[in-house]
Formats: sequence, structure tokens, C-alpha cells
Amino acid sequence: MQTQLGSAAFPRLLRRSLSYIPSILYSLHSLLNLFHFFRFLSNSAPQSQKHKEMASPFLSNTTISFSSSLSSSSLPRIAPSIPFSSIRSNSTPRRILTVRSKIREIFMPALSSTMTEGKIVSWVKSEGDVLSKGESVVVVESDKADMDVETFYDGILAAIVVGEGETAPVGAAIGILAETEDEIAEAKAKAASKSGASTPSAPPPAPAPGAASTPGPPKSTPAPAAPTVAEGPRKTVATPFAKKLAKQHKVDIESVVGTGPYGRITPEDIEAAAGLSPSKKNVGLAVVVETKPAAPAKAPAASAAPSSLPPPVPGSTVVPFTTMQAAVSKNMVESLSVPTFRVGYPVTTDALDALYEKVKPKGVTMTALLAKAAAMALAQHPLVNSSCKDGKSFTYNSNINIAVAVAINGGLITPVLQDADKLDLYLLSQKWKELVEKARAKQLQPQEYNSGTFTLSNLGMFGVDRFDAILPPGQGAIMAVGASKPTVVADADGFFSVKNKMLVNVTADHRIIYGADLAAFLQTFSKIVENPESLTL
Amino acid sequence: MHSTLSFSRATTVPTTNYAFHSQSPINLRFCGLRREAFGISILTRSSSGRVRLSTRGRSKRISASTGNNGTPPKSFDYDLIIIGAGVGGHGAALHAVEKGLKTAIIEGDVVGGTCVNRGCVPSKALLAVSGRMRELQSEHHMKALGLQVSAAGYDRQGVAGHANNIASKIRSNLTNSMKALGVDILTGFGTIVGPQKVKYGKVGFTDNVVTAKDIIIATGSVPFVPKGIEVDGKTVITSDHALKLEFVPDWIAIVGSGYIGLEFSDVYTALGSEVTFIEALDQLMPGFDPEISKLAQRVLINPRKIDYHTGVFATKITPARDGKPVIIELTDAKTKEHKDTLEVDAALIATGRAPFTNGLGLENINVVTQRGFVPVDERMRVIDANGNLVPHLYCIGDANGKMMLAHAASAQGISVVEQVTGRDHVLNHLSVPAACFTHPEISMVGLTEPQAREKAVKEGFEISVAKTSFKANTKALAENEGEGLAKLIYRPDNGEILGVHIFGLHAADLIHEASNAIALGTRIQDIKFAVHAHPTLSEVLDELFKSAKVKAPASTSSPISEPVAA
Repeated sequence: MQTQLGSAAFPRLLRRSLSYIPSILYSLHSLLNLFHFFRFLSNSAPQSQKHKEMASPFLSNTTISFSSSLSSSSLPRIAPSIPFSSIRSNSTPRRILTVRSKIREIFMPALSSTMTEGKIVSWVKSEGDVLSKGESVVVVESDKADMDVETFYDGILAAIVVGEGETAPVGAAIGILAETEDEIAEAKAKAASKSGASTPSAPPPAPAPGAASTPGPPKSTPAPAAPTVAEGPRKTVATPFAKKLAKQHKVDIESVVGTGPYGRITPEDIEAAAGLSPSKKNVGLAVVVETKPAAPAKAPAASAAPSSLPPPVPGSTVVPFTTMQAAVSKNMVESLSVPTFRVGYPVTTDALDALYEKVKPKGVTMTALLAKAAAMALAQHPLVNSSCKDGKSFTYNSNINIAVAVAINGGLITPVLQDADKLDLYLLSQKWKELVEKARAKQLQPQEYNSGTFTLSNLGMFGVDRFDAILPPGQGAIMAVGASKPTVVADADGFFSVKNKMLVNVTADHRIIYGADLAAFLQTFSKIVENPESLTL
Repeated sequence: MHSTLSFSRATTVPTTNYAFHSQSPINLRFCGLRREAFGISILTRSSSGRVRLSTRGRSKRISASTGNNGTPPKSFDYDLIIIGAGVGGHGAALHAVEKGLKTAIIEGDVVGGTCVNRGCVPSKALLAVSGRMRELQSEHHMKALGLQVSAAGYDRQGVAGHANNIASKIRSNLTNSMKALGVDILTGFGTIVGPQKVKYGKVGFTDNVVTAKDIIIATGSVPFVPKGIEVDGKTVITSDHALKLEFVPDWIAIVGSGYIGLEFSDVYTALGSEVTFIEALDQLMPGFDPEISKLAQRVLINPRKIDYHTGVFATKITPARDGKPVIIELTDAKTKEHKDTLEVDAALIATGRAPFTNGLGLENINVVTQRGFVPVDERMRVIDANGNLVPHLYCIGDANGKMMLAHAASAQGISVVEQVTGRDHVLNHLSVPAACFTHPEISMVGLTEPQAREKAVKEGFEISVAKTSFKANTKALAENEGEGLAKLIYRPDNGEILGVHIFGLHAADLIHEASNAIALGTRIQDIKFAVHAHPTLSEVLDELFKSAKVKAPASTSSPISEPVAA
């Protein structure tokens, strides 16, 4: 409403324009027939949208539509249904027929093009008050604002059919106007039949029991539970939001089977019944759906996350993400927007293993060796160390920063070995040790985990022989390293031998790095690993 | 008896000498009246024992001057004892120290009372969270500002911790402020054992008896639980439990739609609960100006996951147990017939508060409470069963039920201290603002429109109503919070402000311009010339005052006249 109206003056203007109503009343007069027509239509069950659109803008443009009209059409319908018990005290049925043109109904007006029902805020006049044309009779609350409704006719407010605080569909009779005092009694009888037993403020002495003569309202709202609910079949329990959704999507709540606690009907049940995708749930929190109809707006919003989740298995527990897990999740989803491909390469590691045994006492780890080897290969293939930030260009990184994925405290973090090509193996190993300690203590500074230009992920120590990694956003390539295993190899001369081989698999952004680039890089990497002396230089 | 007591005041004169010095001009002014006033004092003693209000200050002075005249001097342990260290008692104690009174405060529980420990303070912490959650969850709002926020979540324990931390922080602030000023904090439940005499002590310990020249009862209130409702503190709870936020139910029924219920509905819906209001009256939010409550309903109730039953009593509420949910039986308020049965996950009883005056020993001084409330006159002096004033005994805050608001209690306490230190003072309750911290907030001061109309008819004057919308306020629009209304009810003939009601962003902070104007008697034709910084929300009130049509011209002299007494 806020955005639609924009101006503060709007509601006030509307109110002010009320004062002009008498002057336009006459022109409105001719509309009455139309209005009447519309009311008639609205009685036939499926509301005719076409007519509604025709009628209501018309009415709302002239602001506060008013409405009372001859009730001749409805009277004959009603008269027979009035039980004699309620008429006895009044007058004879025959008399009703003779004076029918003098009793008029006041209808719930359509105050805006979207209004389907209105709530009576207050009756400005009370029963028995004499009304003159153009006077405010009742204040009606629409979905947008409160407006005064005026009468077109002189007369006496004989009966109030819909009391203050109650709601009636557009076009339903909310009050009865009598022309003279003589007709008040009949009007009241009529009101009694209109309101049935449900309106406490209606004055008739003996509300007709079961006099369900009210013409069916155009839209059946879920009837409030009858005053005395029989203890027979179990009554429907629906949550407040479920009821709201049911009304909004015109779902008959009685037909919905509740799946919530104690069999209650939940908002999800209504959404399912209405054929909507269930509303997003975040960390156990239902997102508050504001007044606007949710269905059309939701489709694009839900595009990132799978919108139709299977219902949770009973007894499952929901544990919200930690901040780290949420960050991982976010990055992983983001990675889906990058077109990647993978290239695998077997690397012989006998020489590397021998070197490792030699330098291990000096505190060098396999991680440091691999990082150093990758960095040296990257130095020769700067393209693989580049990244594509905007989908339009290459970003060549001046430093070779090797991020190494480690699992810590149930999370995943990638401490970065900066300038891995420039530091020597021992410094690199020392640096790595520091980083891991910091990561455990959750003391890594942002540039120590987000400045990587290439990532190394090693699952070889678990015996994994090959795997592929997801490319982290912002980098050009990631290398997944499997375990080094003794493998029978045949050389060019047909001699068999057993060599340690490991499979490395690189995932890269194909927008910038193509297959041949990656192959060349892997070849270089393989040469370095197979001749690792250069690593110690 | 009354007069003897007032004579005894003489004995305290040495300890309260400063009062004489500082107020000597007043004293001099009264000099000429002394003899005559003395006569009145004697007269009242012989007759009803009741002192006329207008002569109160004077008669005290007289008794002081005649104190040496044979009455045996009697000394008191304190000038002022306050029973109850809530916000009311604290306010009174601070002011009493400022006035030089030797002051003690008796507290049987924790310093800070309801407001700090189980009321306004922790609830504001929860509401601060709910306000932010609401903002972050409103995609529409965020998008309008051009912000993108991924799913907002919360940690219940963290939220509860925030509420608890703020309460203990404010509690220690209050304690320290009193200690620093030299207020004695006596621990135990205070009981009045006789005139000017109070005993206090913890259960199982010997009681101490202390005397004081004046005593203020400020024992506050506890949540009121209607009969038939079984509170188990887990699924059927009061605000005391709810503020600990031990769990966030999927669906909670809130019995009562006043301030407390409304604020909690704001918290619970922001945290993902659905809410069902149960209101005994025919309208939600009774007590608010009808127009404001209607608008508030349109913003705070209808678009949220809230439904309601009005005109019904929750006659029976059974906590969840044996695999059954919380069961609430609703009875029609008029016909008293069973109307409906609700099954929910939790029920919050927010049906108001009951005075906490049991065990105060009021029977020792012949005071009978009315529904638990201590009867007082407009100067907070306690009235006994015969309709006479009990000398030197005052009651402030929720315990007297005049206006159950923390700041009202404090104002009443300050008013009492003013009186006992020689300046007659009557608090104008119509100048005390009230606020409900929903999002957006609701605030009010003075009369509602129906009250003002009734008064206007009775007293034969005209009233007018002016309104402004937050939609016309630049700052509100910049915040994308244009929903709101400010309403002014005033007398067009003389420009007197009768009531101001605000619903909108920061309404609770905006009301004070109006409440101060009422307290100081500032008229609209004068305040409309006051300048407001642009662009600020305060311009909502600026515009409100300017839109009023007052016939009286702006006053030429200082706009601040005599305070208006209720």
C-alpha cells in the first residue's frame, strides 16, 4: 500500500473528497443501477471478475461509494423464508410485500479495486436515527483505508445487519433503511433474517433459528466455529498463518489434512493444498511473507536454492550452519556459476618420496613440497595462476599464493602460502606450520586465508587415489592430489617396473584456461616432481 | 494522633537543618501565617485528625516551630525509608539524597524491581533483536533500500543472553548509583509495624526494626494471572518467564493485547512464531486511542502471522503435558458460554499486573487495600480504612495503581520527596508519556480522543484534532519507514494540548516534546514557533503543532507559565 500510494496526502485527500460527495451524488445516482447489477452478479457464486473490474474502479474513482438500493429484488426471496415465529410479533407477511419499495438495504461498498470484503469500523448512526441524503452512516475499513459511507436516501436506519467490527463481503447488505417509522418493524424482521443468529448486535427479539436465508456470499470465508461446538468429530486446528494463507489462496481449510504437531494444519499444508511451493525456511525460521500475494514474487527469488525440498524425515534434527559452514556453503553455490573442466595426470613420485625422506627431519612436510612444486610450475604458466573476475577479462596475479585446503574443527579452511615460488622449502614449511596453528586457534587473518591464487587439496594421506575438487570462486584452478601408490608401469621398451605414481586432477575455469594450457602446466608440474632437486634450491 | 506525629517532626529538624536554610525564603513567606495556621493545626487535631491539603506544608512548619513546646523529642534512624528498590524507589532515593535526606531503601529481592529485571529493560533487549530480524527478513524493505542480505537467523541462547546481560548491567548501575550517594540498601522484606516504623529481614533471620520520619511504599507489582490458568513456567508462562526466552514456540497464544502482549507478539513473530491473541474486550489494544489502535492493528497484527479472538475470556488454560498441547478454553465475555477451545504450543499470560502489597503490614496502620492496591490521594499519601490520610506514609508506583509505568513511579517518588522536603507538589499524570516498543512504536501522552470528547462535553469546551503522517516526513521516507501517524487533540480556543498519540518510527522518543509541553503548560500557539532540525523525525510533531488551528494568539511573554496541575 505504501508504495502504491506514495503520497501522504492520499488518505487524507480521500477523506476530504467526501465533502464533495453530495454534489456528485446525482451523477452517482445513475450508477446505482449498475451497482445493483453488480451486486446481483456477486450473488452468483463464481464472482465475475469482468464485471467487478468494470464496476469497482468506477466506484472507487468517485471515492466513497455509497450504496443503498431498492430491495425489491431481494424481498420476495426473503419473505417466504422468514419463519413465522419471528414475524408473529411484527406484522403480516402480506404487508411486507406491499411496502417493499420503501425498505432499502445498505450494501458493503467496493472502496477500492482490490477490495473483496470490508469491515465495519463504526456505525456513525445508530438504529432509529433519521438519515438524510448524503449523510455519513457508517465507516468501512477496506484493505487500504477507512472511509465514510453515505446514504443516497432519506429514511430511518431501521436495523444494522453487520455490527461494528464485523466483516461482510462487498455487495452484502450491512444495514436496512426504512422510509418511515411504520416500516421499521418490517425492516427489523428483514434484518433478522439477513443476519441469522450470528450477529449479536442485531436487535430482533427472537433470532430465527436456522434461518439461513442469507444469499450466499460470493466468497465463502471459513465460517467461525459455531458457538456450541459438538464434541463429535475432532475439530480442525489451523495455525494463524495457515488460516491467513487459506483465505488468501481460497483454500477450504476443512478439506486440508493437517500434518503439524497434534494434527494441526500448518502454513505448509495450505501451501501444498494451494499447489504452491513451500515457503522458504531459513535456519528454522519462516520468512515473514508480507501482505502482498507471495506466489508470483517467489519464483525468481528462490532460483538460487532448490525450491522444492522433500519433507524432512520424521525425527531428523536440524543443526544450523556455523559461520564457517555458511561461508563454505555460499562459496560452493557461487562456484556453480563458473564453467569448469578437469584434467588428470599421473605423476611418478619415487624421486619426490626419496627427497621427502631426506628433508623430513628438517621439518619439511609433503604439503610444503607439493605447494612448492605447484608454485614453481605456476611460475612458468602464469595463465593457470590467473583468474577471471568479471567474465570479460583475465586477471594475472603478480604473486603466486598457494592456498591449501585443510579440515579443521569440523570446518574447511584454506590457509595461504604467499609467494610460494619465492620462499625456500624450509621457510615454506615453517610458514605452513604457523598457519596451521593459527587456523586451529581461529586466529587467521583474512589475507591469510583469502589471498590464494591457486588451491591445492590433498586427500592422498587417506588413501584416496583420485578425486576432483570444486574450483573456489575467484581462482583460476585447483589441484586435487591423490595418494601415491606403487604401480606397475611399462616403459617404451616394454620393460615392466614398479613405480610410485599419484594422480593429480586439476579443475580450472574454462573461460580463461583451456585444455592445452592445463596439460602444459601439468606436464611441467610432473617434470618438477619427477626431478625434485630444484625444489630444494 | 496525626498532630502528635507532625509535632515529632520538630525533632528531626536538627538533622534536616539544610532544609531550613535552603528554604528560608519560603519559611519567611509563611511567617505571617504561622499563628493562623497554627490554629488550624490545632483545630484539625481536635476534629478529624485530617489536615487540609493546602495547609500541609505550612502546618509542618508550625509544628517545627512549636516542637520545643513540650513534645518529647524523638529521633529517627532515617529521614526517609523506601520499601522496594524498583525504578520508583530508586528515583525517589536519588532525589531524596539530592534534597539532603538520610535515606534507606529496603529490598527483599534484587535491586531494580520489575522494570530492570523482569520488565521494560530485558524486553527492550528482545525487541531490539526482533526489530532487526524484522528488517532483515523484509525482502521488500531491503530491496527498496538497495540492500541484499542473505538469510537472517538467530541464536536463541545469544538473544536470551543479551537480555540477561543488559538486565544485570542496569541492575548493577542502579545499585552502584545508590551506594555511591550513600543510600543504605537494607536487605529483606519490609513490613510496616506501626507509624514511622518498619521492620525488615530475611526469612530465618531476626528482624531489624528501623524508624523513619517518612516512609514510601514502592513494592510494585507481579504478573496477574486470572484464576483457572495454570502457570507452569514452561508452556504456560508470564512475562517473567518469557523474558528469559527459554524456548520459541511454533505457536503461542497471548492472553491480553495491551502493552505487554503487543510487545511480545512483536518479539515472537519476528523470531518465527505464530501468535493468537485472546482479548476479553471487543477490541484489540484497548487503552490506546481508537484510531491509533486501528492503524496499529493494520500494521502490527493483520500482515503478521497473528490471529485473534476478541470478547472472550481464557477461562481455563492447561499446560502441555502427557503428549497433549496447551489447551485453552475460551468463554464468551458476555454470555459466559463456552465458545471455543484452542490447542497451541505455549500460552503467555499478559493480562496485566497485580500489586505486590501482601505482607506489607498495612493492617498495622489500619489501611485496607483495594484489589491489592494501596489507596492514595493525588499526593500519593496513603488513605486508611476510615478515609483519613495516614501521616508520613506514601505509596508510589504500581502498588498504588494510579499509572502502572516505571517512569510514573519514579515521578511519583520525586513528587513525594518534594513534599516531605517542604515544597507542595502534585504530579500531573496527564503529562506522563507511555510507549509501546513494537515495530514501529506506539506512544501517547494525555487523553485519548474519546476521553477528551467526554471531558469537553462535561466541561463545556470544544476540542479539535490534528493529524500528520509519517509519509510526509523526509527522514521517515529516507528510512523507508513512512508508515505512521501522529495525532494531536487540543482545545482550539486556548491552544491547550490535551493528548498526543504517535504511531510510527521512534514514536517512543518523539512523544517527549508533547509530554514536556503538557507538563510545562506550553500552548500550541507558542510551541509551533520552536525550531526543529531538518530532516528529523521530530518534524512530524513540528508539523502536527503547525497544522493545529488555534484561535488564541501566541503569548508575548515567556511561553512557560505555571505548571498545570491535574
